[in-house]
Amino acid sequence: MQTFNRSIHPGWLIIAPLLVLVVTLYLGPIMNILWLSFTDPEPGLGNYAKLGESDALLRIVWTTVRICIVTTLFSVGLGYSIAYAMVHCDQRQKNYMLTLLLVSFWISILVRTFSWLMLLGRKGLVNGTLENIGLIAEPIAFMRNELGVLIGMIHYMIPYAVLPLLVSMQSIDTRIMDASRNLGASGSQSFLRIYLPLTLPGLVASTLLVFILSLGFYVTPAVLGGGKVLMVAEYISVQLLVTLKWGTAAMLAALMLFGVLAMLWLMSKFMKLSTVFGGTTR
Amino acid sequence: MHDKQFMKETLQDSAKAYQEGRLDRRTFLALCGASGIALTAVMAGDAEAAADHVVMWNWGGQSEECHSSAIGDAFTANTGKGLKFDTSGPLEGKIKEMVDSGNVTADVADGDLFNAVSLGPTGHLEPIDYSVVSRDKTLPGYALEFGVSIILYGYAFVYDTKAYGDNPPQNWADFFDTAKFPGMRSLYKWANGSLEAALMADGVAGDALYPLDMDRALTKIQSIKEDSLYWGSGSEAHSMVVNGEVSMGMIWQNRGRNIENDTDGRYKLVNNQAMAMPGAYIVPKGNPAGSSVMQFIATAQEVPAQLALLDCLGMTPSNPEAFGQIPEDQQDYAITSAKNIDKIVYNDPEWWGKNGGDAVNAFLDAIS
Repeated sequence: MQTFNRSIHPGWLIIAPLLVLVVTLYLGPIMNILWLSFTDPEPGLGNYAKLGESDALLRIVWTTVRICIVTTLFSVGLGYSIAYAMVHCDQRQKNYMLTLLLVSFWISILVRTFSWLMLLGRKGLVNGTLENIGLIAEPIAFMRNELGVLIGMIHYMIPYAVLPLLVSMQSIDTRIMDASRNLGASGSQSFLRIYLPLTLPGLVASTLLVFILSLGFYVTPAVLGGGKVLMVAEYISVQLLVTLKWGTAAMLAALMLFGVLAMLWLMSKFMKLSTVFGGTTR
Repeated sequence: MHDKQFMKETLQDSAKAYQEGRLDRRTFLALCGASGIALTAVMAGDAEAAADHVVMWNWGGQSEECHSSAIGDAFTANTGKGLKFDTSGPLEGKIKEMVDSGNVTADVADGDLFNAVSLGPTGHLEPIDYSVVSRDKTLPGYALEFGVSIILYGYAFVYDTKAYGDNPPQNWADFFDTAKFPGMRSLYKWANGSLEAALMADGVAGDALYPLDMDRALTKIQSIKEDSLYWGSGSEAHSMVVNGEVSMGMIWQNRGRNIENDTDGRYKLVNNQAMAMPGAYIVPKGNPAGSSVMQFIATAQEVPAQLALLDCLGMTPSNPEAFGQIPEDQQDYAITSAKNIDKIVYNDPEWWGKNGGDAVNAFLDAIS
């Protein structure tokens, strides 16, 4: 009994039923998709070979990755300043800011997407005002292009970037910064050499969260891109529902899944991922 | 929502099982109790009656109400059977998935005739029973083994009278001519109709479109790419026009009237060279109501149903008998009216059923 306890923590027994359920209900379908990517329409690596043969597929993957990288950079950058402001202002203001952040977090993605059209569309509020006061002659193309997709996605992703950063910044002992200033470091030196490294786990967590969520974006690119910004999620849906090329869809889904896993594995080579998800560094 | 559906199906199945003696009374009542239904409300007979209807799989919105009044009421009067709806939209992939999974819950899908060509031979559809359904109550060539065209919808376009009022665009060649008619355009994102319009603009005759010359069509599409937006749904096409995002927009012709009304006549519909698309009723393999769905399809072919669908949804009749009875105020909008029928071109479901998937992907590649 003693040895049994040492090798398997009894806690596992409590979660075992749940674990079995998750494995069968979650891994099962994923395996099914993997299987489909090798067998439909005919057995073999044909679907994966298409990646090499078809510029179209590579271009869609590249568009997706490019948009996700830009979205991540801006959301995390803006999110960092928002979280920094929230930690350093008084409690009352902080509550206001948190409320605003959570309200935008809770509004449905469709509502937010269409609001952008009303605001920045060709006949939207901004273009209308600028035209009326004579600043521009032709409406500025904010929407229905890649810029529109980026605006919509960054706006949607900012709360996801802020929340992990906020947690990480709140746990920092601010007296460390005072000590650094006391020892003669300038403001920017204290920030770059003390504060930034201390918030790094939060930064990595929010980067990962935003990037991975961005990869699956469907509604925003479809609506704000005006049909010209084709990302993987929409392409997969078309292959499933319209063109019936399920093998291609499954291959792209598998590619996304393993892309994300490979990214996590690479990150784990450089840092201990458990710190990102709230574990200790030891 | 899914739970409710699941419970309903469980009860119907168990009611059948109880009647056939595969399930004992106690277990059946326990199931009723478990699903929160009063025991008196679901006696076996009732549950059996509940299955005595046809489920139509359509696109929701207005169509639920319109299909009900235009076809459902007459069908119930003729057969005593009810009409229910699944409004999740019968895209080809969803039909395939439903049939492959073995849990077929819809009897008739409001799809396209090219679905009948692509899904029929793969065993996903029931053949149409032409002893009940009439081959003559649709256009020639639109009564196929696995589907029959009930209505037509068209790819037409609207233009901004304020921009081009003095010299309005007449045809697809004008639509693609952004030098003569400067301004934004909108086209259908999933290739259908857009490819044919591009070819007609490039000088191909309307009756010589098929097989589509893909390279030629895509070159034409790309020539106005900088000035084009692409829509994926009827409501998106509608809002692109009504919000003034485009000066000329390809639309589904049945929306033309609403667009003219919503813009107080600023945008006007052009039905010249409109591309008639056969909207078809197709039956998923192993549909629950069995052959009685054929009577439903036959009801939809009758002239009163055809005219009611036009009135309610703007969908044009496909039964030639109804063409002559299209009312005066619909003459401009219905593509098979006396006013329009000589100007339109016809989609070839055979070509789309066989080449549609590759065409859509090539089109997406060209516009993205």
